[in-house]
Amino acid sequence: MKKVICYVNQFFAGIGGEDKADQAPYIVEGCIGPVVAIEAALEDAKVTHTVVCGDNFMGSQTQEALERIMDMLKDKDFDLFIAGPAFQAGRYGVACGNVCKAVEAQFENVLVLTSMNEENPGVDMFKKDVIIFKGGKGAVKMRQDVKVMVDFANKLLAGGTNEGAEAEGYFPRGCRHEKYLADKRENTAAYRGVQMLIKKMNKQPYQTELVIPEKEVVPIAPAIKDLKKAVIALVTTGGIVPVENPDRIQSASATRWGSYDVTGMDRLEGNIFKTIHAGFDPAAANADPNVIVPLDAMRAYEKAGKFGRLHDRFYSTVGTGTTEAEARRMAQEIIPQLVADGVTAVVLGST
Amino acid sequence: MKLKIGNLTVKKVCLGTENAFTNGVLTIDKEAAITYLRECDDHITALDIVIANPGDDTRIVPVIEVIEPRCRVDGRTLFPGVTGDVVPAGEGELKALKGCCVTVVGKCWGSFGDGVIDMGGEGAKHTYWSKLINICLVGDTDEEFERHEQQKCNHALRWAGHRFAEYLGGIVKGMEAESFEAYEYAPVSARAAEQNGLPNVALVLQPQSQMEALGYNDLWYGWDMNKYLPTFVSPTEVLDGALISGSFMPASSKWSTYEMQNFPTIKELFAEDGKSLNFTGVILSMLNVALEQKERAAIMVANMAKNLGVDYAIVTEEGYGNPDADYVRCQVALEDVGVPVVGISNECTGRDGFSQPLVTLDAKLNALVSTGNVSELSDLPACKTVIGCLEALNRDGMSGSWGYDEKLGKSARDDGSVIMEDNNWFCGDHISGFSVKTMIEY
Repeated sequence: MKKVICYVNQFFAGIGGEDKADQAPYIVEGCIGPVVAIEAALEDAKVTHTVVCGDNFMGSQTQEALERIMDMLKDKDFDLFIAGPAFQAGRYGVACGNVCKAVEAQFENVLVLTSMNEENPGVDMFKKDVIIFKGGKGAVKMRQDVKVMVDFANKLLAGGTNEGAEAEGYFPRGCRHEKYLADKRENTAAYRGVQMLIKKMNKQPYQTELVIPEKEVVPIAPAIKDLKKAVIALVTTGGIVPVENPDRIQSASATRWGSYDVTGMDRLEGNIFKTIHAGFDPAAANADPNVIVPLDAMRAYEKAGKFGRLHDRFYSTVGTGTTEAEARRMAQEIIPQLVADGVTAVVLGST
Repeated sequence: MKLKIGNLTVKKVCLGTENAFTNGVLTIDKEAAITYLRECDDHITALDIVIANPGDDTRIVPVIEVIEPRCRVDGRTLFPGVTGDVVPAGEGELKALKGCCVTVVGKCWGSFGDGVIDMGGEGAKHTYWSKLINICLVGDTDEEFERHEQQKCNHALRWAGHRFAEYLGGIVKGMEAESFEAYEYAPVSARAAEQNGLPNVALVLQPQSQMEALGYNDLWYGWDMNKYLPTFVSPTEVLDGALISGSFMPASSKWSTYEMQNFPTIKELFAEDGKSLNFTGVILSMLNVALEQKERAAIMVANMAKNLGVDYAIVTEEGYGNPDADYVRCQVALEDVGVPVVGISNECTGRDGFSQPLVTLDAKLNALVSTGNVSELSDLPACKTVIGCLEALNRDGMSGSWGYDEKLGKSARDDGSVIMEDNNWFCGDHISGFSVKTMIEY
C-alpha cells in the first residue's frame, strides 16, 4: 500500500476564511475536507497526513512556511504528494505551486501533483516545475478535478506510463521527450510529413508536432534626439540589491522588484550592494556591483556632460526563471514611476 | 526518367565458399569477397565479414555506414563517382537485395559520426537496422593520419562498404526479381494536363556538408557537397546512388546511404504523385556552416521553387544544431515566397526535455514533424556478442558517449552494459522518414 500526503489551505481545512489566512502551517494525521475525496479515489494507496497552511502565511512568509513544512515531512515515508485542487483561487494556487516545487526538490522519488484552473496565476508560475492538472473554476468541480488527478496517480503508482501532458490532462511544461508509435507505415515520419502537407494544402486541420510559440517582439525604441536633455535610469534583471535585500526579491523566478537610491554615489560599493541572482557565479558582481549596474561609467559620462542627468534611483529584479508574464507585470509597475520622475531613457542591463 | 528496382528478398545470409542466391538464402564466398575488397584498396589492413540477425543478442559499434546491396543491370556503376566513373543515374534498372544491409564497422576505432546498432532486446527499437540482416564488414586501415582524430574520413572502410554492396548485388544480377518498384519521373514542363492540374510539390533535401575540410561530407556524383550550391534534381537520381552519406554528424541525425537509396519521404511523395499532388522534384540543397552560405542556399532554394511553379514543399535536414539554422531559414524563405512548407527533423531538448528544441525558432514554422530527441539517455544491459569494439564508446569521441562522467560513469561499463545518448544510435532518429518516433510534452 502506497502512502500519500496532501496539502490544503485554511479554507478547505474548514478552519475559516480570510480571518484564518494567517494560520501557520501544521500537519494532522489522516484526511481533512477535500482530502476525503482524494482518499476515496485512490486505489492501492492511503492518505497518511494532511498539511494545512493559511494562504497569507504562505504568501507573506513563503520561505518560513516552506521550511516548516519540509521539516514536518522530512521523517515521513510517502510516495505521492497532492496539493489542492486550487481552482481559480490565486493565492491558494501559488501556495500549492510553492509547496509542490519544494517537495519535488527535496524528495526524489515522490510523485507530486496539483490541479488549478488556467486562469490561476499559479499555472504560469509553476507549470514548468510541477505537474498541474487542468482544473475547473471553482469547488463545484472538485469531484471531477480530483478524479482526473488521482486516476493519473493510481496509474503511475501501479507502474503505468505517463502518456504525456495532453493525453493525461495537465498543463504542458515545455518538457519534450520522445514517444514511440506503433511500428507501421502510417506512423513513419515520411508518411506523417506527406499527409500533413496534403492537409495543409487542402486547408484541413492538422497538428504540428512541434508548436512554435508566437514571440512577442518588443520594438526597438527610437534613438534619443538630444542626449544633453536625457534623464537616464538604470534598470537591471541582474539582481543587484542593498546587501540586506530589503524587498526580499527572489533569487530565481522573481515576482518582486525594488528601487534603490544612489544619490551622491559615484559607484556601487561591494559591501553596500550585492547580487542575489542565482543564475550565474556571483563572485565578480559581489566584488564590483558596477559590472551589472554600471553606475561608475554612467557617472563619468554624466560628469563629462554626455547626457542630461542620471536618475537618482536604479530598479532591480532577477531575470533567471522569471516568466514573461511576471516580467511584463513588473515592467508595467516600474514604468509609470519612471515616467512620473521625468525619466526619458533607460539603460536595461541584463546578465 | 524511369527507375525500376527489381527486389529479391534475403531471408538468410550464409558465409561459405561460393556466391549464390537460392530460395532466399544468400551465400557469400567470404574469402573471395575479402580478397576482392583488399585488392581494391591497399589501405585496408584487416577485414572480416560477420552476420548479425534480427533478434540476436548483439551490439554493433562503431557503425560507420549502412548500404543496401544492389547492382545495375546495364553494368553501370552503383555509386557514380564513388565506386566507378561519373555516369548518369536515375534511369534504368536495378536489382536490390531486400531485408539485408551492408553494415560497415570499425574493428578497433570509432569517430564522432559513428554509431551503435542493437540487434535484439530493448535497444533494438532505436534503429531501423535491427529489422534487417546486417552483413557486417568489420575492418581496420593504415590511415594513420586520422587514427586518433575525433573526425575521421573513414575513406577506405566506407568505400569498401560501397564496393561490397555492389559486389553482393552482382550475385543476383542475372536473376529474376520477385517484385518491382517503378518510379516514373516525367519532364517537369511536359506532363499530362491532369497531372499538372494538381498542386506542385517539391522536396528540399539538406544533406550534410558542414566540414570545411574535404572527404567527410556527403557526395553528389562523387562531388563533396561543401563545394556545392542548391540544384534541382530528379528524385530517381537520389534513389539510384547519385547521393552517398559522409562520415560527419552525430550518428542519430545522419542519413546513411541505405536511406538515400530508399528515401522514405521520396517514396511517400511518389505514392501520392498524380493523386493528390504533382511531385515536381527534389531541390537538393546542403548545410554549410557560415551564415552567408546558409542565406545564399535559402535564397536559391526559394527562387528555384518559385521559378519552377512549386506550390508546396517539404524540407528535411541531415543533422541538428548548426544545421537547424538552414532548416528554419529555408522554410521561412519558402513561406515568404508563398510556398507553404512541412518540415521533418529531430529535436534537441536535452536530457531533462526542457531545452529549446531547435537552435533557432520562427513562428512561420507551423507544420513540423519531429523524429526524436538527440539527448535522450539509453541505459542498456550487456549484449552477448559485440561486433566491433565497445571501448570506442569511451575512447573515440563518439557524439553520444563519453569516457568519464562524474554522475553517470563511463558509457561502456566493464560489465558490457552501456549508458549513452540517443545521439549514438546509428541514424536512430531516421529523419529520412523511417522514424516511428515523435516528440510530445510530458
